[in-house]
Amino acid sequence: MGTRGFGFGMADANITVDGKKITAPAGSLLIDACKNAGIEIPSFCYYPNLSLQGACRMCVVRVDAPKMPKLQTACTTTISDGMVVTTDSEEVKQSRKAVVEILLGNHPLDCPVCDAGGQCELQDMTFTYGASESRYVEPKNHKQEQQWSPVVFFDSPRCILCYRCVRVCNEAMDVAALGVENRGVSSLIVPNGGDHLDCEECGMCIDICPVGALTSGSYRYKTRPWEMNHVSTICTHCGDGCKTTLGVRSSEAGMEILRGDNRDKSGINDDFLCIKGRYAFDFANREDRLRQPLVRKNGVLTAVTWEEAVTAVGDKFAEVKQSGGVFGVIGSPRSTNEEAYLLQKFARSTLGTNNIDHQRTADFPAFVSALAGKPEMAGSMRDAYMVPAILLLGGDATDEHPLLAYQVRNNVRLHSAKLYVVNSQEIKLKRQAAEFAQIPAGTESGVAAFLAGDDSAVAAIATAITSADAWRALRETLRSAQNLLIAFSSDLQGDGIANIAKFAGSVSGAKVICLADYANSRGVADMGLYPDLLPGYASAAKAGLDLAGMSAAAQQGKLGALLVVGANPVYDLGFAADSLNNTFVVVQDMFLTETAAIADVVLPSASAYETSGTFTNTSGDLQLVKKAGDLHGTKPDFEIIVRIASAMGVDVSTLVPLGAGTTADMGQSRGAQSGEADRSAVYLQKQGLEARVSPFDAAALFDEIQRLVPGYDVSRMNLMAGNDVRTTTAGKAAALPASRGESLRPAHDTLFSSGSLGRYSRVLNSVAENRDSKLVEVAAD
Amino acid sequence: MADLVSHPDEVKVVSRRFGLGAANLDRYLELDGYKAVQKALAMQSADIIEEVKKSNLRGRGGAGFPTGLKWSFVPKESAKPKYVLCNGDESEPGTCKDRLIFEHDPHAVIEGAVIAGLAVGARKAYIYVRGEYRYLSLIMQKAIADAYGRGFLGKNIFGSGIDFDVFWHGGAGAYEVGEESALMESLEGKRGIPRIRPPFPAVVGLWGGPTVINNVETLASVPHIMLGGGEWFANLGTPRNGGTRLFCLSGHMNRCGVYELPLGYNLKKMIYEVGGGITGGRSLKAVVPGGSSTPLFRADEIDVAMDFDSVAKAGSMLGSGGVTAIDDQTCMVKFALRIIKFYQHESCGWCIPCREGTDWIKKSLTRFHAGGGLRKDIDDVKYLAQNMLGRTFCPLGDAAAMPIISIVDKFRDEFEAHLEGRPCPHAKEGDAANALLPMLAH
Amino acid sequence: MSVVKDIAAVAKGMGITFGEMFQPTIVENYPDGPGPLKGAKFQERFRGAHVLQRDENGLEKCVACFLCAAACPCNCIYIEADENTEQNRVSGAERYAKVYNIDYNRCIFCGYCVEACPTDAITHGHGFELASFNATNLIYRKEQLLAIKPAQLGEGVTFNKAEMDRQGSTAG
Repeated sequence: MGTRGFGFGMADANITVDGKKITAPAGSLLIDACKNAGIEIPSFCYYPNLSLQGACRMCVVRVDAPKMPKLQTACTTTISDGMVVTTDSEEVKQSRKAVVEILLGNHPLDCPVCDAGGQCELQDMTFTYGASESRYVEPKNHKQEQQWSPVVFFDSPRCILCYRCVRVCNEAMDVAALGVENRGVSSLIVPNGGDHLDCEECGMCIDICPVGALTSGSYRYKTRPWEMNHVSTICTHCGDGCKTTLGVRSSEAGMEILRGDNRDKSGINDDFLCIKGRYAFDFANREDRLRQPLVRKNGVLTAVTWEEAVTAVGDKFAEVKQSGGVFGVIGSPRSTNEEAYLLQKFARSTLGTNNIDHQRTADFPAFVSALAGKPEMAGSMRDAYMVPAILLLGGDATDEHPLLAYQVRNNVRLHSAKLYVVNSQEIKLKRQAAEFAQIPAGTESGVAAFLAGDDSAVAAIATAITSADAWRALRETLRSAQNLLIAFSSDLQGDGIANIAKFAGSVSGAKVICLADYANSRGVADMGLYPDLLPGYASAAKAGLDLAGMSAAAQQGKLGALLVVGANPVYDLGFAADSLNNTFVVVQDMFLTETAAIADVVLPSASAYETSGTFTNTSGDLQLVKKAGDLHGTKPDFEIIVRIASAMGVDVSTLVPLGAGTTADMGQSRGAQSGEADRSAVYLQKQGLEARVSPFDAAALFDEIQRLVPGYDVSRMNLMAGNDVRTTTAGKAAALPASRGESLRPAHDTLFSSGSLGRYSRVLNSVAENRDSKLVEVAAD
Repeated sequence: MADLVSHPDEVKVVSRRFGLGAANLDRYLELDGYKAVQKALAMQSADIIEEVKKSNLRGRGGAGFPTGLKWSFVPKESAKPKYVLCNGDESEPGTCKDRLIFEHDPHAVIEGAVIAGLAVGARKAYIYVRGEYRYLSLIMQKAIADAYGRGFLGKNIFGSGIDFDVFWHGGAGAYEVGEESALMESLEGKRGIPRIRPPFPAVVGLWGGPTVINNVETLASVPHIMLGGGEWFANLGTPRNGGTRLFCLSGHMNRCGVYELPLGYNLKKMIYEVGGGITGGRSLKAVVPGGSSTPLFRADEIDVAMDFDSVAKAGSMLGSGGVTAIDDQTCMVKFALRIIKFYQHESCGWCIPCREGTDWIKKSLTRFHAGGGLRKDIDDVKYLAQNMLGRTFCPLGDAAAMPIISIVDKFRDEFEAHLEGRPCPHAKEGDAANALLPMLAH
Repeated sequence: MSVVKDIAAVAKGMGITFGEMFQPTIVENYPDGPGPLKGAKFQERFRGAHVLQRDENGLEKCVACFLCAAACPCNCIYIEADENTEQNRVSGAERYAKVYNIDYNRCIFCGYCVEACPTDAITHGHGFELASFNATNLIYRKEQLLAIKPAQLGEGVTFNKAEMDRQGSTAG
């Protein structure tokens, strides 16, 4: 990682470290070269991909050839051929020991209380190099702890001034909320906003802090690192698909999520998480989570057993089906692929209806259609970090796609990529842009048309800032770019997407990303949560009702039953609450939402952190969702759907292919915390003591998805190992009806909102409130 | 304004115009002013560097790096503009020579900077004046303005077709900024924190351009070398140590002040003849030979020729030329404490050994001097200083460590005299400063 | 002669027996002895039921660092930590143990938890009558383990607002 910036086209250098021969690109950093060869050189201030400091003096080594008079810092020494280095001599060890000892002179020894205890780099170094006894008898310098924001606390005495937080904020995040005050031993990390942070609250500073100086408001003083289970899964908020490792402890409710980070840098997001990924899992721990099924009795929602609730739904659905009533099914772009697939299968085969839809936030059918036969043109989230040129068309990636913005920003910073921003607003990424073209609001499709070669479109998109001539020059620049990555927002749909794909086809090596809002927007589209499209965008024989159609049918009293899975149609999908009076409404949700409040049956469902399956992010990267634990009383949507089908008298093995394909479910269905195989299941199967898979096992359905959904025939092994794997757009959707209109309902989430889920996150709300109050204060001045 | 002193042994080169009112441009011109730069304008840049090399001029800031060699490191071709930077952030305790140059001969600094610029191909020079030297900044600013007024600076200087700009820049009061890369950071408007080297300033310096950084005295010597010739200048000193040097005599001497003496002048002679011996007829205990950051000499070690190589051979450094004499009535523990207090206060805080080490030594010595010392503290202080020496990001850590190590080594008996709660042997009746010491730790 | 020898041997043996009869008894008269310990006597080092100590201000010494739980070879210590607030100050540091349970079904009284404790909060007391007919009774909660508040602070002394409010409400 760290050598990526240096490694391009560099000749190899052969060096000797502790008598071991190492080959690494000439000019790469000694510390990286050693690390790659398995020789660990300790450091506090060095952090891959951040600017060099040389400040902590832990990484000192002896460079014997070329002869250096003093110990050298490995983090600032670039290697050259023939270099001879010693990293483990007594002299080097003594120097490191002295640094730790000197540092501990003023560092509070409150490890038992400190949040970092057990995962503290200073603690590790002290164990490795440190002196067991302190010579220091003087009183330590003390300062009061400060709260900088609802989620960031700073305990200055613990700070070792490695400046990682300042650098990550300035460089990787381009926020510059942190700085340094005073000098010498009085040096302090301070927020540039005085006593509070004016920032994106991403928590990167907390994550990167090697000691316990910066602590997280949601995690601090609650537990210790080794007391938690660590479950690596995918964030449930935006469509970028960041991998996050949840720190989970058991609680009376079953489990409680305390922390989210990606410290091991696995996944597409390296160690990045935004505020939502890092803190906004707290909705799962809310006390007002539904934990008992509710059935409307005498007009009042009454808590009942699962048995009773599921039977009530099954009976009513069977009755509606028998009487030829109309069903409506609304899915959620936050369901896993398996749940979405099962839901549409259940709707189409069990309920016998094509009336199924979800909140669409991007025109994936048009996107897949435009890329038909050219799957190599679909860009991935990793591409955004690696390609030499990027075009961002519409949207504010910093708010709506924090990971994409992070990748792009750091690609520009570390790999000198060229960024071209086309937007109606001066978005934050303009700062990284080589060129910024401002367009009148709502003319994104004009840009696509112009890029695709329609010169007449230039009149509509030219502004005082970007003239027609400038547009032509920009088009030429983009055409000549190598491996251009184009990411466009939901402002483009239908023909706009076709045009952008046409333009991309004319640029050598160009790739395209279609940006959607939710964690599995792409996945549920692939899985066919459309009234007119089956999984893999195959056209349905007869199109069913879409959201508007269902709403109209309800209005006319023609909708017999409505199954809502994880959506809130009354709140944000245009359903009038009173229109559903004559409809049997079943809601599977975590909270008593506006829709759940008027439902006939409410089934408490598990969050994405309490279920297992897969998510496909907006750029088509497929990743494993692992179960962090159970919340008592809830069930995953997958299980609920299977139970409803069963209650309707359906043989569930027609829905979930029992006994086929899977030999071990990698522990997912049992809530195991690591990626290892569920040994007990393997044993039981071998002894013939248990069915090969249960009907509630999402992994079983994934076999079917892999078989039947084009583009999902990915390496299962790679996926199970926790890697992101590429789905392709090799769909059949080339033959989409030309007249097919797409009605998108983009969420336009900011960093501090997340659809209706965001309303249930205390952290997001408190941070948003805090920011609003700050704005008011400023306005008042 | 400082009174000027003089001694017959002095060889006045840099201080030639001291006290003659040369801050006035007309007066300066009468005293051969701006002749050197006109001579340099007629020369090839390589010849200027050659002349300076011949003079054996070594940097007067403290490290003693050969100036001609430094200039020759600047690449001929550079995409970015090159700069000359005059380091006037004179903050080393015991050193007070640059202020006299600024006060009495500001145009010599400008002239030297322009010649350095001509030699390396720079067309812009910055004169960075220490923040505390406010009144000197006014003199310097006026000198620059006067030079612009006569067309000596700005467009087409002396009709040569060459444009040259000289700017004044004031510091904000940090010793650390005397380090050349921290100086550049400060000049760029950032925190005065040193940079990682390599790349060296000669290649990547101010705003990324190749930069020559020289001490005030170094640059003020250059016009004299141009006029008198490199060989003449070299012969003033000892081999490999060309020219004269401004020595700042301070401490317990009868005639303290700045004297220009040839390099290689005997230290003992300097103290007893030039400086007029120890005050009050007391005897000498120790000498700081080159500013507070250099290891001390005991009274019996001072028969040393004061040039870069001889002093290094004797175990110390010529440094910035600040010679401080310490008499036998001085407590060396208190002296060490005074030194470390300075460095603790001036540490920029960038790297751990210096930031924490200086603070730790200060706290330990404060307690030690106040009578709370333990025998192990003596070795602990030395241990700390040894672990700062050569381990820090910039030389400030070395500067703090070297005098401490030498004081502990050479005056261990004085430390031991403080043990077991005994009062400081040198404390005088009602010594207020002494009584206050433990409270100084903040 | 052998008879005399035999008699002498018996007499010697009986001599010891009779001699011991008049020595004070060294068998503990538990459970019929006097006092609250019912005659039981302990060495100082005896490892009995744990006591969670308080500091001189009556605050709990335990800072919920989980080291005892980590050191425990039989996994019998369960802790839930929480943060002290101005209103509710329980321990002297930032964190305190909201829940602290020891499962005496599993505890082997090895003392590792006491060794591990960085604040000397958990100690082995001399409590020993732990037997119960119901295994669930053997899970001791924090309230059962805590030492009483220091006597010199007086009866009913409170240290945190929550406790004060609670007492206030019961009084009122």
